[in-house]
Amino acid sequence: MTDARKWQLLLGIPAVLLLFVFLIMPLAGMVEMSFRTAGSNAPYGDGFTAVHYARVLGDGFYMATLLRSLVTAAIVTLLCLIVSYPLAWHLSTARGGKALFLYACIASPLMTGVLVRNFGWMIVVAIDGPLNASLMGLGFISRPLRVMFTQGLVIMALVHVFIPFMVLPINNALRNINPALSEASLSLGASRLSTFFRVTLPLSFPGIQPGVILVFVLSVAAYVTPALLGGQMVNLMPTLIIRELTGTFAWPFGSTLAIVMSIATLSIVVAFSLLTARLMERVRA
Amino acid sequence: MAKVKVKSLTKRYGAVTALDGVTLDAESGELISLLGPSGCGKSTTLRCVAGFLSPDSGDISVNDQSIVSTPSNRRDFGVVFQNYALFPHMTVAQNVGYGLLFRKIPKSEHGPRIENALRMVRLTGLADRLPKALSGGQQQRVALARALVIEPRLLLLDEPLANLDARLRDEVRWLIREVQQQSGTTAFYVTHDQAEAMAISDKVAVMKSGKVAQFATPRDIYQRPSERYVADFTGEANFLAARVLDASAGRFRIEVAGQTLDVPGVASLKAGDTAELLLRPESLSLDMDGASPRSLFTGVVSKAAFLGASQHCEISLGTGGVLKLAAPPNTSIAAGEQVGISVALEHAWLMPEVKP
Repeated sequence: MTDARKWQLLLGIPAVLLLFVFLIMPLAGMVEMSFRTAGSNAPYGDGFTAVHYARVLGDGFYMATLLRSLVTAAIVTLLCLIVSYPLAWHLSTARGGKALFLYACIASPLMTGVLVRNFGWMIVVAIDGPLNASLMGLGFISRPLRVMFTQGLVIMALVHVFIPFMVLPINNALRNINPALSEASLSLGASRLSTFFRVTLPLSFPGIQPGVILVFVLSVAAYVTPALLGGQMVNLMPTLIIRELTGTFAWPFGSTLAIVMSIATLSIVVAFSLLTARLMERVRA
Repeated sequence: MAKVKVKSLTKRYGAVTALDGVTLDAESGELISLLGPSGCGKSTTLRCVAGFLSPDSGDISVNDQSIVSTPSNRRDFGVVFQNYALFPHMTVAQNVGYGLLFRKIPKSEHGPRIENALRMVRLTGLADRLPKALSGGQQQRVALARALVIEPRLLLLDEPLANLDARLRDEVRWLIREVQQQSGTTAFYVTHDQAEAMAISDKVAVMKSGKVAQFATPRDIYQRPSERYVADFTGEANFLAARVLDASAGRFRIEVAGQTLDVPGVASLKAGDTAELLLRPESLSLDMDGASPRSLFTGVVSKAAFLGASQHCEISLGTGGVLKLAAPPNTSIAAGEQVGISVALEHAWLMPEVKP
């Protein structure tokens, strides 16, 4: 092994250590916990069992909640993509100081803490809040809307905070597209719309793919926003898991829910990557 | 078949004038080169013609119909770019067939047309490859086929050889000329390489800071340039300051380096004008035995370099000034020698002095 190669391996050690201690070990602990028996007067018992998996997979309530979580995440991801793409496009054409300003604007949802941001939403959408006041003032509605504790609000709040994770990779991909390609397409007779769908969109896929995966994974796992803005009315997997782990202290069952959710999410991400592998292979520089 | 006219094209960016009244025209089937250093406006002109830029004023017409307000996707022009601009996610065949998708051409004809275009640029058997699996020369052939398959009214080439190495450049250059002539397509060709421009063009527009300095055949821009800038840009050149004594119908009696000569030149010169006499190195020959009666000038060899097929010499004239010339390879020349220089006066050329 050459010296340079040795150094390269050494450089990886801190990251590997960190991941091992703070990701692999806890995850292994979770898997172990999910096979423990339930305890009486204790979070878990001494023996091992697969009964929790049978319960999660066999119970319509948990499967429905898992499905609702995945569908909600898919909606958030799709809306995020639709809102972010034009934004990313605009950002990719900006240069210098203007680009810097726009980057700051786009990153702004991440600059406030999660609690502050969600209490902000509560104030905005409250029955006597500014949203209802202005909609009534403009005459669109005659009675205030009840927005608080709806799935729509949860989705809107998640889209808002995850936009940067979608905009930044797409912006990067768009910046990497040779501008002569759209000119070539136009000169060959394609309209601007055809040029977008046949050239720009497929070539921006190296940004769409990571954006979609990031936002989807973050949305499935989001806890604080659904808990605060959805409350008891919007049941999603993370809320359920936390309730089991810290509400009823059923650690093995809570772990099982968490593992099932992770496996479901991972399967979807893997399927999405496999389905788009051919396109990615083609457009990779 | 298309006759193309570009009239008084002007384009400004803030205080910078990129194009300042560019006027050109191409007869049907002609290849016109736009030649000049970077920043002279040659690419800007081409981008205006392609419709990627809109000029501030001026007109572009094809067969006497103005197209200046037609969007680029309705101009029916084929464009070949310096960086090839092939669609990286499409195969060679898909790239070449791209333009057919937007024309009323039955699907069944696409295959044969694509094949035909690829055969024309001598690229067969690679139809299913992706562009990144091809060499630069092959990619530019695909780009050429893609631009020609739509049978464009006008072919626009923006420094198509600039990214290729020297050997390929020659090959692709002749290929471009061949297919352009075969298909009878009118073409505009942007380049900064004078040899390239002269070799393949019917006419060359030499551009200088947003203006056309001269628009003429390759022979004319080389042998009868309108000004020193053009002469300099098109090849090795010697200039001597001259004064016009008498002018009649493109012939001039001039005073240069203490002598009175009869030379051809730019018709607009008048008696009394100061002018510059262009002497191309190949119109000069050395008289080795010092000054012979044929010698027009005498001087001392200040530099001599053996190049193989010829020798490059610089002669300092007694009256001031330096002449560069190419001497035959088999005479021995050394710095410091006293020599005479004969001039083929029919190939000298008198130009007005243009203040830079």
